Amino acid sequence: MGTRYGGLLAAPAMLAVCSAVLAAAGQAPAYRAPRTADGKPNLNGIWQTISEADWDVEGHSAAPGRVLALGAEDAVVPGLGVVEGGPLPYLPAAASKRKENFEKRLTADPEIKCYLPGVPRAMYLAQPFQIIQSATHVMMAFQYAGAIRTVYMTNHTDAPADSWMGWSNGRWEGETLVIDSTGFNDLSWFDRSGNFHSDALHVVERITAAGPDHLNYEATIEDPKVFSRPWKMSLTLYRRKEKGARLLEFRCVEFVEELIYGQLRKPGTKAP
Amino acid sequence: MQRAIVAAGVGLLLMAGTLRAHHAFSSEFDVNKPLTLKGTLVKWEMINPHSWFHLEVKQPDGTAIEWMIEGGSPNSLIRQGVTKNSIQVGMELTIEGYAAKDATNKAVGRNFVLPDGKRLFVGSTSTPDPAPAPAK
Amino acid sequence: MRHRFIASLGLPLAAVVVAVMASPRVAGQTAGPAKPAPAKPAATKKYTVPRTPDGQPDFQGFWTNSTYVPLERPDNVQKAFYTDQEFEVAVKAAAAREAEQTEPGTVADVHYDFSQFGLDRSQSAFVKNLRTSLIVDPPNGKMPPLTAEGQKRAADRAAERRRMGATTDAVQNMPIGTRCLIMAGSGPPMMSAGYNSNYQIVQSANYVMILVEMIHDARIIPLGGGAPLPDSMRQWMGDSRGHWEGDTLVIETTNFNGKNPFRGSSDRMRVTERLTRTDANVLSYQFTIDDPATWTAPWTAEAPMTRSVGPIFEHACHEGNYGVANTLAGARLEEKKAAAAAAAKKGAN
Repeated sequence: MGTRYGGLLAAPAMLAVCSAVLAAAGQAPAYRAPRTADGKPNLNGIWQTISEADWDVEGHSAAPGRVLALGAEDAVVPGLGVVEGGPLPYLPAAASKRKENFEKRLTADPEIKCYLPGVPRAMYLAQPFQIIQSATHVMMAFQYAGAIRTVYMTNHTDAPADSWMGWSNGRWEGETLVIDSTGFNDLSWFDRSGNFHSDALHVVERITAAGPDHLNYEATIEDPKVFSRPWKMSLTLYRRKEKGARLLEFRCVEFVEELIYGQLRKPGTKAP
Repeated sequence: MQRAIVAAGVGLLLMAGTLRAHHAFSSEFDVNKPLTLKGTLVKWEMINPHSWFHLEVKQPDGTAIEWMIEGGSPNSLIRQGVTKNSIQVGMELTIEGYAAKDATNKAVGRNFVLPDGKRLFVGSTSTPDPAPAPAK
Repeated sequence: MRHRFIASLGLPLAAVVVAVMASPRVAGQTAGPAKPAPAKPAATKKYTVPRTPDGQPDFQGFWTNSTYVPLERPDNVQKAFYTDQEFEVAVKAAAAREAEQTEPGTVADVHYDFSQFGLDRSQSAFVKNLRTSLIVDPPNGKMPPLTAEGQKRAADRAAERRRMGATTDAVQNMPIGTRCLIMAGSGPPMMSAGYNSNYQIVQSANYVMILVEMIHDARIIPLGGGAPLPDSMRQWMGDSRGHWEGDTLVIETTNFNGKNPFRGSSDRMRVTERLTRTDANVLSYQFTIDDPATWTAPWTAEAPMTRSVGPIFEHACHEGNYGVANTLAGARLEEKKAAAAAAAKKGAN
């Protein structure tokens, strides 16, 4: 490589060769995310899935909705599914419970009552969430119901008690944020179609920046009270890029009060 | 003069917005229905805004009735190192309180007492960092 | 059996309080009469605030604003600061009041003993603040007078509450905290919640997150610009934007929806908050309320924070809100019983 132009051209040429080799091996070169000031992959931002996983994490066709008067707006949007490798491996008793959940979903789906969404459902709701990342904590703030996940990056401890959003301990493996979560109650669902878990739920998530504006998200679900083996889901999270992108308030408790408590109001009084 | 100011200031220093303003307990529980329940703890829901203790109370005829007893937010206890493992299912508790107005087996627990007469929780007067359980 | 947890009253105050003296940073504030302000602990050495990896002042961690100091100065107190001794006496008395025996069989007794849950202020960290009021401006420690519009709005709100009926008629008649919509003190401005009054601050390069413990409200404050919400968009906690002025974080909030009014504020209230870490364990917190629709002048208060203990456990309020259903069910049952009793009486006549 005699000339400086040759030198300048050499680097991209080398990169192209590397990419080609890796592509031939079936792997894209790993994207190296920009770093935070403390040297970690920078996952800060406002993210949202473009998937239909909240309707049903398994592959599903379009279907009628729950409320006749809402017509096409409540109809189930079809999706290829985010679950890897076949139908969800329910234990026999759990499979019956899942069916029962589906039949009762209009009254039983916790999302309808503005209850906290649990994990991993919070990650694929049709509303954005924001990652705020420090050296010791990765916070995830969800627009839906103002839900919060705290991921402890140091001082890992066990859950002091069960909660809706679980207890999350995180660590870095190269480019990937690995989050290990337990301490869930048994009250949240995985989606609107009644897929569910028990309080034995254990979720391991792997979040990796795949480019400047999208994250690869994988979650392994383990719940020996409900499933015969662990199973995995994967989906893409996209950065909300519009000017001024931000979380807004979706304080839905106010919107569901009459639904939940309306039958207990004083007779003769009117709902607002 | 100084003393008078201090004395007056004392009463008025107390913030108006204490716990009791949050929630009109007397509209949920009945001051005319005091009760004492003795039973076995079957579950402690460490939830907010109030925790709930589920107590299995044996009846004279040998059957058991499950009561739900309302207590305080668990968050401060957790700050002081109390966890779901601190209170054992199977513990015998005596609860003095007031029955719910809705005539179900619910009550607010004024006092929670262990068989040896000790109170169930004794808040500490200082706030050391709780010793966290190391993750497995 | 009703013996109170009196031992907590004998606690050495130093065990749980952190000294917070007059903030040196309050603009436009006077200490009242010529009495000198209490000595500042930083008088002899200047505190250097640590920096985040991004180079910003580091406010991260767990803080509490739990305090015994009222917003407004009591009527019979003229001075701006108590002495150390007066403070200790007052706090002991306040702690005793919180732990006091209630008269068995009275309405006040219908409550769990919250000292058993560590919820009374004396059992957790609270700020040692010698001020006689949180309000530092006006210098008399009280809110300025209401405007005519402010008075009318207060009267209208009171009339609306009466029109709505009893709090037990329907959930919408209950206080917003009971409904788990928001705790009133979450604001902004952030006021002590009475218990669980804790905050977690996490900072990234472009945002400061202040997580309010109760009902898990995360204030996410963007730094350095960004378009404000249009006037037509209103939120419970308004729209906050922050920037640094030296080592002070300044947060400006507008676009309130008016559903959680602060001491009678309108939805045009503008809140300016200033946070400065003045010591390892002290976060100075000052707020100015500018609401010409309600008060004849802006007013400023200081409500400093001290270090608290983490972690903050999930405060899922709505999800566990048995109390609302129990209360409504009880009220409906009592109405039925009263109606049956009245009918029986009528039948007997």
